[in-house]
Amino acid sequence: MTKCLELRNVTYRYEGSRETVLQKVNAEFEHAKVYTIIGESGAGKSTLLSLLSGLDTCQEGDIYYNGTNLRSIDRDIYRSQRVGVIFQSYNLLLNSTALYNITLSMSISESKIKGRQAKKQAAYALLAKMGLDRETSHRKILELSGGEQQRVGIARALAHNPDVIIADEPTGNLDAETEQAVLAIFTRLAHEEGKCVIIVTHSESVTAIADEVLSIQEGQLSKLRRG
Amino acid sequence: MYVIEHALLNLGKNKGRNSLLAIIILAIITTTVVALAIYNTAQTVMEETRRALQCAVRVAPQRSSPGTGVAVTAGGGQQEAAVTLEQYLAFASSQHLDGADVKEGGRNADEVDAVYFLKRPELLAVFEAELRDKGLPDNYSVKTDESTFASVAGPVESLQKLSLTFLLIVLVLGAVIMVLLSFIVIRERKYEIGVLRAMGMKKEKIALGLWTETIIITCLCFVLGMGAGSILSQPVSDAILAGQAETSAPGSSSLADRLNEAQGVVPPTTKIDIAIDPVTALEIFAVSILLASIAGIIAVSRITKSEPIKILMERN
Ligand SMILES: Nc1ncnc2c1ncn2[C@@H]1O[C@H](COP(=O)(O)OP(=O)(O)OP(=O)(O)O)[C@@H](O)[C@H]1O
Ligand SMILES: [Mg+2]
Repeated sequence: MTKCLELRNVTYRYEGSRETVLQKVNAEFEHAKVYTIIGESGAGKSTLLSLLSGLDTCQEGDIYYNGTNLRSIDRDIYRSQRVGVIFQSYNLLLNSTALYNITLSMSISESKIKGRQAKKQAAYALLAKMGLDRETSHRKILELSGGEQQRVGIARALAHNPDVIIADEPTGNLDAETEQAVLAIFTRLAHEEGKCVIIVTHSESVTAIADEVLSIQEGQLSKLRRG
Repeated sequence: MYVIEHALLNLGKNKGRNSLLAIIILAIITTTVVALAIYNTAQTVMEETRRALQCAVRVAPQRSSPGTGVAVTAGGGQQEAAVTLEQYLAFASSQHLDGADVKEGGRNADEVDAVYFLKRPELLAVFEAELRDKGLPDNYSVKTDESTFASVAGPVESLQKLSLTFLLIVLVLGAVIMVLLSFIVIRERKYEIGVLRAMGMKKEKIALGLWTETIIITCLCFVLGMGAGSILSQPVSDAILAGQAETSAPGSSSLADRLNEAQGVVPPTTKIDIAIDPVTALEIFAVSILLASIAGIIAVSRITKSEPIKILMERN
């Protein structure tokens, strides 16, 4: 297995706050594996994910993607092409349709899918996989339920065929059936397409599919179980 | 390019915000058009009038200056130095002239009122030399009529100053309003910017998108503002001129009257017609685009300075 993401002595503290959220964290994430990260509320799970997805930078230590320091690469390209992030609070464009959120992501990442029509078709297919029909796809995010928004968020994260999938509580608002469908997609992406999937969760059914389970406690990341 | 498409889509959403923006930009452009039109027209009138009056040369005997009481007469007696009507008429044949107006009975009954129209104001010295050659005595002056110019130019000049002050106030206020407004608009759109940044959209592209939106609104407002401005310029200028004449020149009722009075010496070309020439239009366009751009760039650069996650957190 090849190393996808690696953390070396990562220390992070929010600006203006004294508390260190992450304290000299060391960890490795490999391709073709599903990782879940658990921990109490406020333990620093979302913080870790925002560092891994290049949305923020740590004060000390380094993060490597495929052996390259994230500090030395264009993080805009990293975010738009290499990682797909599913946010705890979705972070979708609220005034735009579900469809547009997906096609915009394709455009920003300079996706291989070219042309307006081709992008639309691919987006419909992706949304359909998440159980969203065309009528729903044409509705604004504001007019969708929490679970529907979450599924649009997942579709958007997968739209540009990223190498790394980073998900913060991706199934928190989904019913058991949809949750299983989404988890099946994640495992298939990891095991068949060699993606690195990192999921933060409180849910037992999510940790059940993980190849490795990690836990965050008092600023430290530790392995709980090996798959 | 998807950035432009995104900008166009955004214009369709948020109609309320965009119309507010449009109304304010429209007001700034309209007032700028009015002020600039008045300023430029006043400038043209001044130049035309000055040129016309500088071409009009009056030849007359010098009078004793009232302060000193000493008659400014050179050489022999005053009687001997008088220029006859025939001489005045002969002066008119100079090749430097476009015409002349020589009348008997000027200020005093026995005097001749002689005004010569030079082809160009610069010819004054040459013309004077020619007249002296032809026998014009030294106690006769060859001068442009400055008092007429002052009476005509005064009100136009203050109109011009007024419009310039007005223009400056509008531009400064406009700039302040635009900057404040873009801060408010950008704050409101912080979440959206954060989402786009999180999706990996480059700062420059986000700025370009927002800029495109503002520029489209500004262009629409420019067209409307030019229309409204040109309709308003004439009545506003007329009103100002009317008020101006009353306050600045007792005895003479309006600038138009004085322009007519001056027509004895000035070829009758000047009347204040407010007009917006293409250069003015272009200036206004450039100024509005500049204002919109500066305001947008300041606001966007402030927001995109922070890490995307911070932009998002501040909103969530
Ligand atoms: N913007 C911020 N400024 C200061 N402190 C913050 C900020 N965001 C989060 N924190 C603090 O950092 C710690 C870690 O937060 P984080 O969001 O990573 O927790 P989490 O493990 O994701 O929790 P949850 O399970 O509730 O989502 C918490 O103590 C939180 O209060
Ligand atoms: Mg969290």
